[in-house]
Amino acid sequence: MSDPKRPHDDASRGTSLSRRAFFRGAGVVAAGSLVGEAAHAAAHASSLEPVRIEGSVELELEINGARQKVTVEPRTTLLNTLRNHCSPPLTGTKSVCERGSCGACTVHLDGKPVYSCMTLAVDAVGRKVTTIEGLATQGELTELQSAFCAHDGSMCGFCTPGFVMSISACLERNPAASLEEIQRSCSGNLCRCGTYPQVFEAALAAGRAMRAKGGK
Amino acid sequence: MALDPLRLQDEKPPRAAAPGKKWVRVTKAVNGIDTEVWEEVADDAGGPQWAPRESMRLVSREVPRVDGPEKVTGRAVFTHDVRLPGMVYARVLRSRVPAAKVTLDLEPARKIQGVLAAVSLVDGDIDGEVRWLGRPIAAVAATTPELAEDGVRAIVAKYAELGFAVTEARAAADNAPKVNNRGNVIALSKNTDTKEVDEALAGSPVRVKGTWKIPVQHHASLESHGIVVDYRGGEEATVYASTQGTFTIPGDAAGRLGLKPNQVTAVVEHMGGGFGSKFGMGIEGEAACLLAKELQRPVHLLLDRASEFHAAGNRSGGEHELEAGVSPNGKIVAFKARVTRHGGVGRGSGHPLPYIYARDNAVFVEERCIHTNMDSSRAMRGPGHPQASFSMEGLMDECAYAVGMDLLEFRRINLPENKRELYMRQLEKCAELIGWRAHPHKNRPDLSDAEAKVGIGFAIARWGGGGNGQCKVEVRIAQDGSVEVLSGTQDLGTGTRTYCTTIVAEELGLELGQVRARIGRSSFGAANASGGSTTSPSLAPSVKHAAHNARLALFEKVAPLLGAKASELEVRPGEIRVSASPSRRIAWKDACASLGPNGLSAQGEWQAHLASSDIGGAQAAKVRVDTLTGEVKVLEMVAVQDCGLVLNLLAARSQLQGGMVQSLSYGLFEERVVDPDLGLFLNANFEDYKIAGAQDIPAMKAVFEDDPRGVIGMSEAAIIPGHSAIANAIHNACGVRLREMPLTADKILMGLAARKKG
Repeated sequence: MSDPKRPHDDASRGTSLSRRAFFRGAGVVAAGSLVGEAAHAAAHASSLEPVRIEGSVELELEINGARQKVTVEPRTTLLNTLRNHCSPPLTGTKSVCERGSCGACTVHLDGKPVYSCMTLAVDAVGRKVTTIEGLATQGELTELQSAFCAHDGSMCGFCTPGFVMSISACLERNPAASLEEIQRSCSGNLCRCGTYPQVFEAALAAGRAMRAKGGK
Repeated sequence: MALDPLRLQDEKPPRAAAPGKKWVRVTKAVNGIDTEVWEEVADDAGGPQWAPRESMRLVSREVPRVDGPEKVTGRAVFTHDVRLPGMVYARVLRSRVPAAKVTLDLEPARKIQGVLAAVSLVDGDIDGEVRWLGRPIAAVAATTPELAEDGVRAIVAKYAELGFAVTEARAAADNAPKVNNRGNVIALSKNTDTKEVDEALAGSPVRVKGTWKIPVQHHASLESHGIVVDYRGGEEATVYASTQGTFTIPGDAAGRLGLKPNQVTAVVEHMGGGFGSKFGMGIEGEAACLLAKELQRPVHLLLDRASEFHAAGNRSGGEHELEAGVSPNGKIVAFKARVTRHGGVGRGSGHPLPYIYARDNAVFVEERCIHTNMDSSRAMRGPGHPQASFSMEGLMDECAYAVGMDLLEFRRINLPENKRELYMRQLEKCAELIGWRAHPHKNRPDLSDAEAKVGIGFAIARWGGGGNGQCKVEVRIAQDGSVEVLSGTQDLGTGTRTYCTTIVAEELGLELGQVRARIGRSSFGAANASGGSTTSPSLAPSVKHAAHNARLALFEKVAPLLGAKASELEVRPGEIRVSASPSRRIAWKDACASLGPNGLSAQGEWQAHLASSDIGGAQAAKVRVDTLTGEVKVLEMVAVQDCGLVLNLLAARSQLQGGMVQSLSYGLFEERVVDPDLGLFLNANFEDYKIAGAQDIPAMKAVFEDDPRGVIGMSEAAIIPGHSAIANAIHNACGVRLREMPLTADKILMGLAARKKG
């Protein structure tokens, strides 16, 4: 993956000039959501050339099924975009370590769990972002969320959204996941209150309930 | 000199009680450390009583916490999550030198577009002189957190280094740089006469001695210390804080904002862990107030993870040099300890040795502390006790092995008489739950050639957990039948909000959904800070009293409608009726409709007789040690705990198991690492400072004993013995006695190699 933050030596590469110039000149008002698409195209271009994006960019993200325009600096993480730039702010996703070692910021990108603190917002353009706020539909808790409540899977609750997102993805893949598979699925999440035993109970119970319903 | 019994039952109150009052002994948390004091309270005989356990409907049952749905959907608003119009984000710059005279140039930060303010935090009292590594020295507010971080990086800090000692060895050395003007090594004990204990040791046929080393542990709350100061000029401010004490905030914040304390409201809706580290506003809170005052805009300041490790407290480490003299019949007749506490610029908690054992013969304990240029230790869950437990339970096992006695029998002999029955009952229960009877090598290690060896270990805990009279609770019943219970208290994740709800619902015959608990706001009734497991024994009786008074007030209103006296009424689920004539009844809704538009409001205060104190618990661990790799896997942990009336079996079980997990993490993984030469904290992050994760968790069982007493706080006891039981289990498995935490593979391999040689 290219790194949009890495400075690029203009003189050494001529080919990306037009794209670079475009980003440099891209005012928020002038370029609108196109910038987001271009940023996405740049970030996922088959070329491995680094691209410099400066100033603020307007991105269009698909979050919890709805399109949302945000204006952020290119370096802004998906985590900080959700928490500080969305309207309303999506603060269910927590910021704890900001370097991919605790899992509190876990969201789904195209259904797969990722650390949103290690993902740039520009890299989420064109992908489906699901946050903890987007799991329950029409206010109805998922089996896993219900099971977290019933089995006391939260104490202080700060790690809870991350655990729910990690384990949700695991159970979506395999509602019959074993205890070991569930533990592995949230081995990138930390809890300081020590709720792990209840989290495992909740996950196993949710898997059973999902299987009984014959799906999700 | 023998020690006093564990509780000072015979100590007299200071004077005779005033009419209508009585004296009770209560536990008060002073910065998280429980201290027993006498308190004069209303003599409330005939007041509210807890119902018999078997008749309880909601209290002491397994009730899912009322804020569970908010927490699993991300709707719960923590301090980090507060978003206000015009709000700016702030970050702090930490001193990268442990001791220095600092001068700051803030202008480069202020020049960055988007940075709105930068303030120095080293003016005033400390006059630019920093005495501990990581002390916040400046703060920057900007329109985004990223720009605030840019601002922090742009500040030019010049350090005139003063010479420092960040390890105890350096600080205690000759000619060490002075950490502060009190001296680096401070004697804390008055008595230095060891004659009696030395004689008793000399006369003991078996003597066991060793030095135990205990690392500094960090609270590592997932929500870092954070505060949002909503001050937009004028005469009022609201301060959202991640704190264990709602009422520890307004006074300090008001001082910094130039307001009066009653012009500041503190709000603690949800908070993401504290464990003893979050009392008061801290330097970071002061910084947020300074910035808000300057900008007259809401300021959101949180510590980043590295700052949280450097500057937000820790559990004191230490070194315990212990020696015991044991008689042939297994009695410890002499105990001598030299305790050194490592608390950085603070003194550290007391490490209460010889903990629960060996108190009634010759005992000598000398305590001192060594200061270093590191952040002060703070109270951390069970302050001092896990440290004392680690060395003392290890020593107990070593003594038992030395005299060839059963581990549990040796404990029985050396427990204080007034606690013997309690702890032996709990230890026996743990033994049963973990399979001790069938364990093939109880009182010696597995000496076979097997690569994987399994061992079992035990340890016990004590705590006060009493309440005090700081809580004022209000229960409101509205004309439409809805009920609110209000208290300024905070829920740290213990389930405070839930038991406020269940107690009121039970008293008024309602379902959970009909009562709403409103807490975490200093404009509600006063409440104590949550330290020393004092919250539930203080708050629950006060809630019960308020609900009781609300019920009696409602009875007065309803009695004429039923043609009865208030004293003849009783509550049943969903209705009020005449006890002697159940057909004369009125539904809850109709009863409340008779109230005026103002509804009714009742107050509650602490009821000493509804609380109690003084608890004990035992834990056992089963581990597997891989003798090729040194890896330790904890297979199973069990706990047996008494704690009076359990308010919610589900939340209490979580809290007890949570304590066991934290204790496992303390034992196996946690250790602050500093570089003595460079003065750097080397593992101030979650990759290098490891805490227990999902794959480290053993099978767990937590049992609460039937205990007829009132409410007692239990949280601290849960974290005290687990790591000691694990260390003992490692020895029982492979014969390696680890006297230094964390109990890591390298130490086990060294121990195994030494055993082979020896």
